[in-house]
Order: sequence, then C-alpha cells, then structure tokens
Amino acid sequence: MKDILEALEAKREQARLGGGQKRIDRQHEKGKLTARERIELLLDEGSFEEWDMFVEHTCNDFGMSDQKTPGDGVVTGWGTINGRMVYVFSKDFTVFGGSLSKAHASKIVKVQKAAMKNGAPVIGLFDAGGARIQEGVDSLAGYADIFMENVLSSGVIPQISVIMGPCAGGDVYSPAMTDFIFMVKDTSYMYVTGPDVVKTVTNENVSHEELGGARVHAGKSGVVDGAFDNDIEALTQIRRLVDFLPLSNREKAPVRPSFDNIDRLEDSLDTLVPDNPNKPYDMRELIEKTADEGDFFEIGKDFGTNILTGFGRIEGQTVGFVANQPLSLAGVLDIDASRKAARFVRFCDCFNIPIVTYVDVPGFMPGTKQEYGGLIKHGAKLLFAYAEATVPKVTVITRKAYGGAYDVMSSKHLRGDVNYAWPKAEIAVMGAKGAVEIIFRADIGNDEKIAQKTKEYEDNFANPFVAARKGYIDDIIMPHSTRRRVAKALRQLKTKNVTNPAKKHDNIPL
Amino acid sequence: MFSKILIANRGEIGVRVIKTCKRMGVKTAIVYSEADADSLAVEMADEAVFIGGAPASESYLVQDKIIDAVRKTGAEAVHPGFGFLSENPVFARRLEEEKITFIGPNPFAIESMGDKITSKEFAAKAGVSTVPGHMGLIEETEEAVRISGEIGYPVMIKASAGGGGKGIRVAYDDAEVREGFPAVKAEAKTAFGDDRVFIEKFILSPRHVEIQVLGDKHGNAIHLFERECSIQRRNQKVIEEAPSPLLDEETRMKMGAQAVALAKAVNYDSAGTVEFVASGVDKSFYFLEMNTRLQVEHPVTEMITGVDLVEQMLRVASGEKLAIAQDDLSINGWAVESRVYAEDPYRNFLPSIGRLKRYIPPVEGEATGAPGVVRVDSGVREGDEISMFYDPMISKLVTHGKTRDEAIDTQLAAMDRYHIEGIQDNMPFVTAVYEQERFRSGDITTAYIKDEFPDGFNGVEPTAEQTLILTASAAHVHGVYSARAALTSGRLSPPETVREDWVVILDKSHYPIKLRFAEGRSEIEIEGKVHVLETEWKPGTHLLEGTLDGKPFAVKFADRTEGYLFRHRGVALRALVCTPRSAELHAKLPEKEAADLSKLIMSPMPGLVVSMDVELGQEVKSGEAVCVVEAMKMQNIIRAEADGVVKAINVGAGDSVAADEIMVEFE
Repeated sequence: MKDILEALEAKREQARLGGGQKRIDRQHEKGKLTARERIELLLDEGSFEEWDMFVEHTCNDFGMSDQKTPGDGVVTGWGTINGRMVYVFSKDFTVFGGSLSKAHASKIVKVQKAAMKNGAPVIGLFDAGGARIQEGVDSLAGYADIFMENVLSSGVIPQISVIMGPCAGGDVYSPAMTDFIFMVKDTSYMYVTGPDVVKTVTNENVSHEELGGARVHAGKSGVVDGAFDNDIEALTQIRRLVDFLPLSNREKAPVRPSFDNIDRLEDSLDTLVPDNPNKPYDMRELIEKTADEGDFFEIGKDFGTNILTGFGRIEGQTVGFVANQPLSLAGVLDIDASRKAARFVRFCDCFNIPIVTYVDVPGFMPGTKQEYGGLIKHGAKLLFAYAEATVPKVTVITRKAYGGAYDVMSSKHLRGDVNYAWPKAEIAVMGAKGAVEIIFRADIGNDEKIAQKTKEYEDNFANPFVAARKGYIDDIIMPHSTRRRVAKALRQLKTKNVTNPAKKHDNIPL
Repeated sequence: MFSKILIANRGEIGVRVIKTCKRMGVKTAIVYSEADADSLAVEMADEAVFIGGAPASESYLVQDKIIDAVRKTGAEAVHPGFGFLSENPVFARRLEEEKITFIGPNPFAIESMGDKITSKEFAAKAGVSTVPGHMGLIEETEEAVRISGEIGYPVMIKASAGGGGKGIRVAYDDAEVREGFPAVKAEAKTAFGDDRVFIEKFILSPRHVEIQVLGDKHGNAIHLFERECSIQRRNQKVIEEAPSPLLDEETRMKMGAQAVALAKAVNYDSAGTVEFVASGVDKSFYFLEMNTRLQVEHPVTEMITGVDLVEQMLRVASGEKLAIAQDDLSINGWAVESRVYAEDPYRNFLPSIGRLKRYIPPVEGEATGAPGVVRVDSGVREGDEISMFYDPMISKLVTHGKTRDEAIDTQLAAMDRYHIEGIQDNMPFVTAVYEQERFRSGDITTAYIKDEFPDGFNGVEPTAEQTLILTASAAHVHGVYSARAALTSGRLSPPETVREDWVVILDKSHYPIKLRFAEGRSEIEIEGKVHVLETEWKPGTHLLEGTLDGKPFAVKFADRTEGYLFRHRGVALRALVCTPRSAELHAKLPEKEAADLSKLIMSPMPGLVVSMDVELGQEVKSGEAVCVVEAMKMQNIIRAEADGVVKAINVGAGDSVAADEIMVEFE
C-alpha cells in the first residue's frame, strides 16, 4: 500500500511540475505565473479541487506517444471565490505550449458541463499556442466541443475569460463567446491570424502587440472588457468581479452587507451639471456618489468611452450602471458606445441584475463614418436590448435627452420602470437652436427672430416639465437626493415580474 | 457703523469679510463673475450682484461695474479684500468722489505706498532703513542689464504695481535679466495693467518679516507685532507665522516703531502691512514695501492678538477712533498658517484646477490629535470648481498653540484630517516642511524651499512610526473588506473568520503580520510585537482616523485597482495585503519598465498654449524652450528633456490643452 501511495504522490508531483522547472522559470522570466499559481491566486486559499490530473493525450503520430505529461496542458477543477463556487480551467503554457488536444478539450468540456448542471460560473485562464497540430481534426473537434458548451451556457451561467499569454486561431473563439474577456498588458495577445500570416496575405508589417495586444483590444477593437497590469492584478480583479455576479440565471443578483446609508445626501451633485449646457462634466462622479461606498467596477473602460458601463451595488445588491459620459464626445451615441452598452444591458438582463441608467445624451453621432459603419443597426442593438430587458430599470436624466437617443436610453416608452429627471434636464427632439432653425427655416438670417424663437423653444421644451406633465417622467428629483430616490425605486421593484412573449429566441439586429 | 457694505472681491476673502459683518450686524452685498455664480461667498452674502465674465478684467477689475453695484444695493462702503482693486488709488479716489466709503486707507496713502519707488522715498524720510537699489523706472532690457550690473548681482526685478508673489523675479546674471525682465513686464501688464518695473539688490539669506499696522482717521496708529513669511516658493508665500522666531523683544519694538512712523507719515487710516527683509545673521532689517490692504496672512495676527482686523477696518473706515492702544496688545501663544493651494507638488507645483469632487476640511476649534486650535478660512465647498481664472488657493489653514511646536503639531494633525479629492493639493509638500528639523528649529530664510528641495519635491520616505501606522491601517482595512466579502449571498459553506497570517506589501517591502481582526479594533502583530488599532472607519470613507496603541492618527485612504493607496503627510504609498503564498508569487513578477516618454512633450497641466517656439524638423537641445503654456495667470515655459528633432507638432498658439496631452513629438 505504501508503495502505491508513494507512486501516486510521485505522479501528482510530476503533474504539478507540468512542463518542468526550466519551463516554469521561463514563464516567470516573462512576467507570467504558471497555470497552477494563477488558480491559487484566483480561488480562496486551499479551496481548489482538481480534476483529471492524470489525463494524457491519446495521439501516437509524429512520435507523440513518448511525449506524455499528466494533465496534458490544462489544469481544471472547481473552487470558491469568497466562499462562492466557480469552475476553472487554466491553460499550461509549459506543456506543449498549452496546445489543445482532444484530451485537453475533454477536460475543459467536463468542467463546462458540471458548471451548467450545478449553476456556477466558468472562468477560463488562457495562455496557449492553439491547436495540437499533431492531432489534426481531433484537435478541431475538441475546439468545437468547447464552443458548443460556451453557446449552451450563454445566459445560464456567467462565463469569464482572462487572456494571460498568447491566444490565437481556434483558441480565440471560445473567449469570444464568453460574457467578459480581460487581458494582461504586455504579456498577452489575441488574434485570429498572427503577424506572419498577415505579412504573407496583406503585406502588412505588424507586431504581436500592435496586432492583438491588450491596449488594441481594450481600446480599439472593443473585443476585451479590460486590461490589467500583471497576472496578480488581473486575478484580484476577477475575484472582485465575481463578487458582483449571480452564480447562474436561476439566482437573483447577490447581496452583501453594505456600510453605506441609502439616505446619504450628496449636496455637491447639485452643482455637477455646469450652467453652460455645452460644458462637459464627469458622469463617473454621479455613479460613484450614488453607488454603495463609491465602489464601481467598470466594464469596457477604454472602449466607446462616451458611455460608461459597469457594476456597483445599492443597498448591498448588485446593479448594472449605464451612463452617457459627457466628458467624451459629449456623451453621444455612436457605433462603439451602442455595441458596448447593448451587450452590457443584455448581460444584466440575463442574470437578473437591475439596470440603473444615467442619461445625458445629445443624440446619435452624425457622419459618413458612422452611417457607412452601420450606425442604424448598431444603435438598434441598444434600443432592442433596453426594450426586451425585463429586469428592474431605473433611469435618471441629468441634462440632455434629445431625439431618438432619449427613447433608447431606458425611456418610459421602452418599459422603463421608474424614470426621473433632474431639474435642469431637457427632454426634447433636439437642442433649441437646431429646432428653431428647422421650424423657422425661412427666417434664418433674421437673427433677432431666431433668437426670440430659440428662447421660446427653450422656455417651452428645454425643461423636464413637458415630459413630466405627460407622465413620461415619474418625478423631477433634486440631484443631491439621487441615491435615495434610486435606492427606493429599486426597493419597490424587488418583486417585479414581467415576461416577454414565448418564442424560440428573438432576432436582435446583430 | 455702516448698515450695509459691498464686497468687491470673491472666494475666501469674501467669506472672511462676510463672517465679521454678520457678527457685527452689518448687511453684506457681494459682486460676482460668471465663474462665481454658485460660490459660497455669494450664498452667504445678503445680496449678490452679477458683474460680468470670468476673467477679472471683465468683472472684478472693472471699476464702473463695482460702483454700479454699490448704487444698486445701496451699500455705504466697499471692502476691496486683497488683490483686484484693493490697492488701486484711482478706484479709491473714484469712490471718494462718489461719496462711497472705501474700507481701506486714503488714496494718498495707497498712492505713496503702493508705488514701490515713492514708498521708499517716504520710508527714508520717516527714518525707516531701506535696501540699496535703482529707484527709477526701466524701459529697455539692455538698460536693465546695465543697472543690474551696477547694483551687483543677485538683483530682484519687480513690477512696480506687483505684490502677492506675482511680477517678481530674481536674476543671478545678465542672461537671467534678459530672460526675466521682459517676462516680468509682460506679467505685470496682464496681472495689474501696469508694466512699470524696477530693480534692486537681492539680499542673500534673507527673512521676510512684516509688521501689521492699524491706523484711524484721527491720527492714531498702532502695530500688532510681526508675522514671518519666509517660507516662500518662487516668491509666493506658503507658510506664515506670528510671532517670528527670529525677533527678540528689542528688534520687535524697533521694527514696530518704524512701521508706525511710516504709517503716520502717510496718515495711514486702515489695516496695512509694512514688509521688511531681515538678516537671519544679525537681525538687521530693511524696508521692502508697504501693502495698503488686508494681507492674506492676517489670521495669524488675529490668532495671537485676539483682534479681528476686518472689524477694525470697518470701524476706522466709518470714522471711529481706534479703541485699542499699543499697550493693550500682547502676544498670546503662536499661530501658523498654511496656504493650501490647488497645485501638484509632485509635478513641480503646476496648477491643478478642476472640480472638488470631495472636500472635507478639518473641524474648526479644538484640534483632534494635537493640543491647539484650528481655523480654516476658505471660500469653497465640495463640488465647487477651482477655476483657471483666479488664484489657485483652496484655503488657509490656521492653527494656534501655546508654543510654536504646538501650533506646528496642530497643523500636522489638521492636515492629516483634511481630505481633498478631484484635484491635487500642496499638503504633502507643506507637511514635509513641517516635519523637517530645520523648520522646527526656526532656522529659516526665504531661500528655504530652494535649499531644502533643490530638485523639487518627490515625496518623502516614511519614518518607522509612519510605516507602522500604514502597515497596521492596511491590515485593518483588509480585515474589514475580508470579513464583509465572506458574507456575500450564495456561499457554499458558512462564512469563516478572517485569517490571521498576512503579508503587507508597502511599496516593495514585505511585512509579514498576524491580524486578529474585530469590528472597530484589530490586534496586529508585527515583528513579534502586538499593536492595537482602534477606528470607526468603514468602507466608502476616505479618512481613516483612529488610535494606534492609544495614540491618535489619521491617514488618507483610497481603494485602488490593486491594493490600497495611503497618503500620510509627504508619504504616498500603495499597500497590498495578501496571503503569504500570494506575497511569494508577487516577488516572482518582474518590475515593469515605465514607458519611455522622453520623446514626447506633454502638457503638464490643463491650460492655454501661448506660443509654440519650435518648428517641424528643428533640432532642439535638452533644456531648450519648446512652448509656453499659460494656466492660472502663470506662463510656464515647457522645455525639452533631451536632445531631439521635432517630428510632430500637435498644438499651436491659442489652443487649449489637457493635462498630459501630447503637444510635440521628437524623432
């Protein structure tokens, strides 16, 4: 018996070493942790239960039969984050460069299936070279098995991907189908085809970083939702994110004790909106001053910066904040902002997270670049997402809510549950000057008349009372009391029960 | 006494005057510009009159608008505060003609003292000792160079109408005169509308000591002892105190008597200040100038004498006789004032304007954590904007104690509890000065900051005691967060208690600790010694105040993406609390290299590009001027940090730039 135990321990020890000490050292030199170290940091200490440590690949071609490492390049299992269950897989770059074999894929699929069955998030840590070429179509089949589970899990359990090394070719599509993707700056990249192929096909000279680095995807492409400085920071932040999320769509948004009072008044919010209607201000301040303890976990911080999305809590319960950001492009809705916010709204709706929307929007972005890019369809995504969402929806208009963008931003007309406006809000088809120049087109040039009519339009429409008289706005609230009013609205909506008509699924304008 | 006065000023001094008026039962009206419509001063005044655009030249400096406002409100008198029209004899005369009382000295006194050249002639006549210099006005740069050579370097180039640190430069050689003279002239023109400039000898190792005087319309004049304002940066006062650690009783009385003699020579009939430069070596002193207004630093005098100077100004302006005689006055304890500026000490003190996202001043009255008394003179509230149009002062923090040490300790304790967010303030720097032995000893000169911080301010290393405070605070904060995180709904197992063994990583140092956490009270074992931290801190508050081993402390806290950011006096450190295993892994990650920014010229602050001095393809040497950015009325010459060839110019004269905006790129 003793021998068997010793043999088991030796086998485990071999598995834990992955590709060997040399490769582990290489990993550290590159500023990366190993697959197991990452899991240690992600999960509560000692909570990891590893599965399939002894799985080996079954390939016998190209001399692969002599090259077997227990675990086969991926560490899988489950554990807890602050006591709550999550499933994990972590690619081991030190074993065959983390490449994907049929056996490797099966390990991941096993975790995905268990997560679905038991209702807990799956977190994938990526650091891998792509398909195990030696296995041919078996490797591709393995990818597809994972993709299939990704799709079935979508909207049932939260799926999070963290790119912590190379991630190319087939490997990118599993993260692409998850709810959130994060990257580590300087040590990770992600693309469908790498620089060599790009050079051959399009003759472009481009580096890994320029083609698919964290800054590119977090800022330009919007493929990822955030970039972190190093492995440790990334994993710490994933823990923070998981605290906000329900474990599955069968649960309500999680609640934890709050140290913050809902009656907290913030007098300084009365001066947040400047007197000059064209002067920007930082909408993030409103989120921070209304969320519990000022805690805001931003999603997509560097992409579509004219809209803010992220998680906070009110009375200890998770809420999703969506807010136009006047500091960036006056908070206009363009393609990037619409796509970013639409996806966020749909995530919240999938997982029973109430949505709080702060509106200061001058409209949709004009221009050929936007129209050629398909602003109509992309803008429609956000409209669609808000309209179909059945979670509690609380909206506060702080300043401008013009035109179609007013409708889009969780308006009463799209089943907004509670819609408030600040006293300086302007709910109108457009700004007074533009409106007058259309209605009184013949008088353009007659500055005096235009000025007088502009004043008239401002007096009649540049305020929240018109909308309030019609019941489109439930109340006009003092900015300093926003936190209390939003919190009370959410209390009232705790028992909200609305369902959409039965259908196979909707057909959102993708 | 007046029944209503108008305040022709804004901000902190507006609020200061209103407070005294309220106490005296005098109604107040205040004028305001576009930028100040929602200001505290406007809110506190009984009436407010809008007088125009944000630039002072469109509002606070326009005499007609002030006089209209007086008419509109029916005020009987005008308090000018400091700056703006406070020392403008034309304005004082106009008020006289309009039969409006000026709460300040008579126009003759302003005229004779306001001009630095005639004031010296008066001083000499009154038997006040003066500094050697060139009394005439200078027009041309080359003339300035010649005169400077005659006086002997170093020399001080000064705007005739200047004051408050604006329009003054010191030159140590011909080249600096060539650069400084036109700059002073230009600054004088924009700031005071008067570009007359003169030059005088600059006294080395000097101390700035000034006497507060008070006169009435009946020929009486007294002095209220001295203030020392030697701690200055670029001739802008930072720390002021009363009394001066330099003066003995004899020198004090001599200086006071000269100041009173000068006041009497010009029939001085209000509060005023006679400034001297005193030698730290032999206590000899020379007249510098007389400021015919209330000084920014007047509160330190009020704290040691118990006299409300604004009240006295109102009384003498209304014709009352001075009710205080020289013999009634004595020095009670010690007072120190810090000017809290909206500027970034870590970035060469560049202005840091914007919205005060959080503004929590220390509580006034008996201090917490120190034996003295705290007073905060400020014109802002949370949510207010520190605007680029005016002086970047946020407040004046004044403390009083029985001794100088007590007053300084109270400054430190108060600053520890002074929370500002949204813009950067200079408190890290000021506290660093207070913690220096040399400052404590009173051995200061006007070159103190230049001497002690030759390379600017880069923060200070924590002392052993501060390290302990920060380590213990980080541990407790982490305990609070951990205990709460364990209570999130949806757990698999019952919540566990907070673990004991942690490693606190402060900057790069690892401190293994044992944490026995309980709400409001943690025992933290560091290097075998148990410390007890008690605090009522809770998440969401940015000031962690409590006691460590029974001794009160306060640190500023912010939750950052990775770890906690603690600020305590001149120390700013990121603290990370992690499990021993995580700390071990931390040590494995290599340090990331900072991005190379040497090929970029970025705007150090938000402002306006005044001139772009390089062209595409031009070769630029390290230290050469690249462009000039103006903010807060100050022109900042931006220089190249390395040699290079200009590859791209992204902005031009007249453009607004944001902080860190890339203006010029080198190849």
